[in-house]
Amino acid sequence: MDFFTHWLTQDLLLILGLGGIAFLLARAARSDRWSRAATRFRADRTGVIALCVVCLYLFIGALETCRVPVGGGATKSMLDFVIGGIPDERSYSAPFSNQILTDTKPQPDPLKSQSHILGTNQLGQDVLVQTLKACRTALIIGGLTSAIYIPLGALFGIFAGYFRRWVDDLIQYIYSTLASIPPILLLVSILFVLGPGLGSISIALGVTGWVGLCRLIRGETMRQSERSYITAARALGQSHWNIISRHLLPNVMHLVLINFVLGFSGIVLSEAILSYLGVGCPVGTASWGVMIDSGRSELSRDPVVWWNLTAATTALFGLVLSLNLLGDSLRKAFDPKRG
Amino acid sequence: MLNYLIRRLLYAVPILLGVIFLTFVLFRVVNTPEHAAINALGPKSSVDARNAWIVNNGRDLPLYKQFATHTIQLATFDFQPSITTKRPMGETFREGVGPSLCVTLPGFILGLCLALVLSLYQVFVRNSAADRTITLICVVMMSLPTMVYIIFGQAVVALGLGWFPVSGFTKGLDAVRFLLLPVAIMAIISLGYDARMFRAVFLEEIAQDYVRTAHAKGLSATRVLSRHVLKNGLIALITLTVGQLPKLIMGTLLIESFFGIPGIGNVMVQGIQTSDEPVVLACAYLGALLYLAALILTDILYAAADPRIRLS
Amino acid sequence: MLRKTTRLFALAAALWLAACDNNPHPAPLHKTRPDGTPWVVRYQAIREDPRSFDPQYTYDQISRKVVEGVYDTLLEYHPMKTDPYELQPCMLAEMPVKAADGLSYDFRLKEGVRFHDDPCFPGGKGREVVAEDIQYVFQRIADPAVESPFESTFEECLVGMAETHKAAGKKLDYATQRVAGVEVLDRYRFRLRLTKKYPQILYWLAYQCTAPVAREAVAYYDGENGREDFRKFASVGTGPYRIVNYEPRSRVTLERVPNYTTTVFPSDGFPAAKAEWLKTLAGKALPFIDEIQLPIHHENIPRFLHFRQGYLDIMAVDKDSFNAMVSPMRTLSPEFQKRGTILEPAFEISTFWISFNMDDPVIGENLKLRQALAHATDSKRYAEIFYAGVAPVATQLLPSGIFGHDRERQKRYPFDLEKGKQLLAEAGYPGGRDKDGKQLELTLTGQGAGSEDRQRVEFDQRCFEQLGIAVKVNSVTFARLQDIEDRGDFQMCTTTGWGADYPDPENYFMLFYSKNVSPVGKNYFRFRHAEYDRIFEQMVVMENSPERLELTRKLQRILDDECPMVPTFHKAAYLTLQPWAPRTHNNLMYEVDGGHKYLVTDTVMRERLQRELNKPALWPAFVLGGLVLAGVVAFIGAVRRSKNQTA
Repeated sequence: MDFFTHWLTQDLLLILGLGGIAFLLARAARSDRWSRAATRFRADRTGVIALCVVCLYLFIGALETCRVPVGGGATKSMLDFVIGGIPDERSYSAPFSNQILTDTKPQPDPLKSQSHILGTNQLGQDVLVQTLKACRTALIIGGLTSAIYIPLGALFGIFAGYFRRWVDDLIQYIYSTLASIPPILLLVSILFVLGPGLGSISIALGVTGWVGLCRLIRGETMRQSERSYITAARALGQSHWNIISRHLLPNVMHLVLINFVLGFSGIVLSEAILSYLGVGCPVGTASWGVMIDSGRSELSRDPVVWWNLTAATTALFGLVLSLNLLGDSLRKAFDPKRG
Repeated sequence: MLNYLIRRLLYAVPILLGVIFLTFVLFRVVNTPEHAAINALGPKSSVDARNAWIVNNGRDLPLYKQFATHTIQLATFDFQPSITTKRPMGETFREGVGPSLCVTLPGFILGLCLALVLSLYQVFVRNSAADRTITLICVVMMSLPTMVYIIFGQAVVALGLGWFPVSGFTKGLDAVRFLLLPVAIMAIISLGYDARMFRAVFLEEIAQDYVRTAHAKGLSATRVLSRHVLKNGLIALITLTVGQLPKLIMGTLLIESFFGIPGIGNVMVQGIQTSDEPVVLACAYLGALLYLAALILTDILYAAADPRIRLS
Repeated sequence: MLRKTTRLFALAAALWLAACDNNPHPAPLHKTRPDGTPWVVRYQAIREDPRSFDPQYTYDQISRKVVEGVYDTLLEYHPMKTDPYELQPCMLAEMPVKAADGLSYDFRLKEGVRFHDDPCFPGGKGREVVAEDIQYVFQRIADPAVESPFESTFEECLVGMAETHKAAGKKLDYATQRVAGVEVLDRYRFRLRLTKKYPQILYWLAYQCTAPVAREAVAYYDGENGREDFRKFASVGTGPYRIVNYEPRSRVTLERVPNYTTTVFPSDGFPAAKAEWLKTLAGKALPFIDEIQLPIHHENIPRFLHFRQGYLDIMAVDKDSFNAMVSPMRTLSPEFQKRGTILEPAFEISTFWISFNMDDPVIGENLKLRQALAHATDSKRYAEIFYAGVAPVATQLLPSGIFGHDRERQKRYPFDLEKGKQLLAEAGYPGGRDKDGKQLELTLTGQGAGSEDRQRVEFDQRCFEQLGIAVKVNSVTFARLQDIEDRGDFQMCTTTGWGADYPDPENYFMLFYSKNVSPVGKNYFRFRHAEYDRIFEQMVVMENSPERLELTRKLQRILDDECPMVPTFHKAAYLTLQPWAPRTHNNLMYEVDGGHKYLVTDTVMRERLQRELNKPALWPAFVLGGLVLAGVVAFIGAVRRSKNQTA
């Protein structure tokens, strides 16, 4: 599993996956329906704001993802250049405070270099830095998972809906089997096999997550296949591949887009639960789930260590909320009657 | 009808086999016989004892043989006892179902009612500021991790106000005290999602022709909503919620383990955290069984509710 | 209509009042004792479900804590003498007599010790414990069907254990296959014959694994005919308590048995601070408490919250609740001081370390590298972060309380990065790089399930990386870690240590004995040293004496020179006890909050303080009600409006 745990592969895969999705979207976007939706979307204030927030997160994640070698095989991320240089403390320190919490005598510490905007965590790391670094973790997991489950779900869905018969039976069998195992057990057992790592989390979430999308696309494809334009295309003797890529794919692509946005938020939330179960991100990776998990027991401290939990929850909440709002707006834009 | 049922049941068999195979493979790959023996005998056990355990429990046999015995055991509901506590799984399930349902069922029904009321209200005032506000609140509620609700409930409501015990469970009527908080949290967690979904279902129903006809006939909005929209919408909702039943029986992982409720969710968390293979495999099998049963039930309900659908 | 509403309202109010009671425990079994005095209950939490109640099978702390009250052992540790620990007879009439050659011990049981009354005995009346029961205990340990983890220990020292175990096949035949080393001399006397000098055998007789069980109970509770399996639930022992209720994942309840007379409260060895008070208890009949409720709490937060509300009598403070209760000056916080909460440090008899694999080509061959790593380990800060500075930094292998522990000793490799870097350079990695300029990468294996474990591993990783080397972390589950250690598939291991089975230096030094190299034994460091082996063999068979002390010092010196591991800390916690439940014993060979039979509780004080601590706040109920009302009004208004619209 070393391959998947290496940051370079992760980032490459992420870029490839997102590129692929962008390519598909760009292809679909040429259709009428998409340009109409784009016009409608631009008028939706909430959606535009949500999109901006998501882009902000993407930007921070990208900063952390772009790594520059600093010599001797070690690398530093762009984020390190921007907010790096904040030294670690010995342990907890509250926001803007110049005291360390586990000190035997609480007094201004001459060794302590400066106050931290969001305080420091148990190991003395700056919480703000950790929170920002965790953006990359969340985006990597979300992006890699999407890069796995969207092609799987979309293609299998279209195949099942278009070819019917045994293809449909087989695909239905696979997803019924996967769906009937309680999802958390499936997730955890896959993670046990793959070992800890962002790559493994993404694979596990991807393998368990494509079922919903596949069902949706299968139903939509079946509906589209009955339409006259598909029948006509068939009568004209177009190849299956042509029909799928020219006619079916563009017509279900908006569903994929909405599912991608809403699913992304679900994945970010799942990571928090996985951390609670002890199969979350590997040691040394900043992640909101791990921060929330360790933050919950810090609440019983006195003085209460609330900054770790609050920072992680707020950051996670901001991303998930804007993704959800964005998804809503997209749905409205594509289907104004129902929205 | 009967014909259909039999076919559905037969169709479930390969799926169950697939489930057993998949979980078996996943778990046996990680859990080598040595791990299982350490789990069973403890870290200070000797290698001899571990080897003896492996032989006694048939873990040295070829995998296909182990798989065959495993399948037969599950099919006949002859679950292997837990590796760590040695308790038979059948008993664990029987003891766990009650507490699990105590939390999930009231929580689910309460959440459903709240979501229904909320969504009906939204349909009433649709496209108004109130509608938009509630939708926004729903999205906000959906975007908070479950853990935050639980931590807040425990730290603020239970400790700060002193109304309920912080955690724990007892048998009998006294359990109400323990259940109020988890049930409330369970209801609130799913509220955002459910209310939005129901709103969509109702709006779709309202757009139907017969509603317009009813309006045209001069029926009041309340009447149309309660008589027609709610009734027809409910059919869709019931079928949607039947799919939730297995989840109710399997319990809620986080709520149960935070509130110390001895349900099946708690069993699963412990099974996962101690890599207790028989527990996890049995849970997966049981979950799959319930899921398939609920699927068949949904189909039947659909057919019963909507005469246009024929089961064939 | 109106009356109905009123009645409904009254019902709701009654329910609400009932619901306002936040006591998490079920009602006690009885209100008063048969003689009319109040029934005394004690509440203390356990972390996990007990694995089994079979004394010959359980080896984990949680089960031991439960079983300890149910099964008396032949010998027991004196509840107050802890430095060093001292054995005293429990079910035995006197201390055993050692033969001149040290190869056999004679024992005599107390007369009149009976098993608990139980339907498994004819007439339901408990039978007297006799010497034949000891033979039965060792037969059970030898029985492969019992899967006793202690079999291998006795195989090494007890005559006939190995043979009986081998001959048994899958299941022992109790009528014919006896353990030769256990000779029943008469009704109450028996002799144990050893294969080698092994004075530590006596410690094992104070361990639950040799506690007598009734063969009638094992036969009766066979898991058939609706009766439970002995191994799991039934508990027909000889101790002061029996298990009356076990709700998995919820709680265990113990109730005292009538007529327990085997032991009484000791009358010597009292610590000075408590001597006055303890004197009043001396010689009194045990136990003092009638019922023990052990709720099972997985999560730390609920446990702390329950203690705060006064619903738990004792709690080992974990690092997170620590700061809420203990001020930086190591005294209680004002809130708890006002309540009269008692704070006592409890040092578990354990040592934790970072272990090196001596077979590893990089780390095993390079003493300077190991020493550099040792110098980079900041145990003091570790203890500060994870144990709030309570856990003592380990300066040696032996924890305090064990013969040979040297209080004055300083750490051989104190935290010193400069020294570490210098040693690293001497080891061939100046600046963390080898001669080709490549950064040295080491793998650190550790248990990494919970967020707490992760932080521990991450801490060590960051310590080592300060030397300029790269450290890769391999975080695994507990079982996998054990397996990795056994197979030697690691470079460095952290988050592991050793909790004493008995307070003898042999229990620790054997971890480095070459004949115990894993997977045969527990020497997973794969440490092989001829001189060490020679001294160890000499030390093992000796009674505690100045000469033995000298040998333990020599062994420790060799370990320091060779540095197969870095001792980090001895696990410790602060115990907090409610003012109504002061601690009578300070013996940690009973688990931290064990020793049930010596405990006392003042129920009157508890009731008063519990009431004071738990006054429900009512104002939020009004706020909530108002909100609901507002919502209903808004809804009705909306309905009205829409009616008007259509009308």
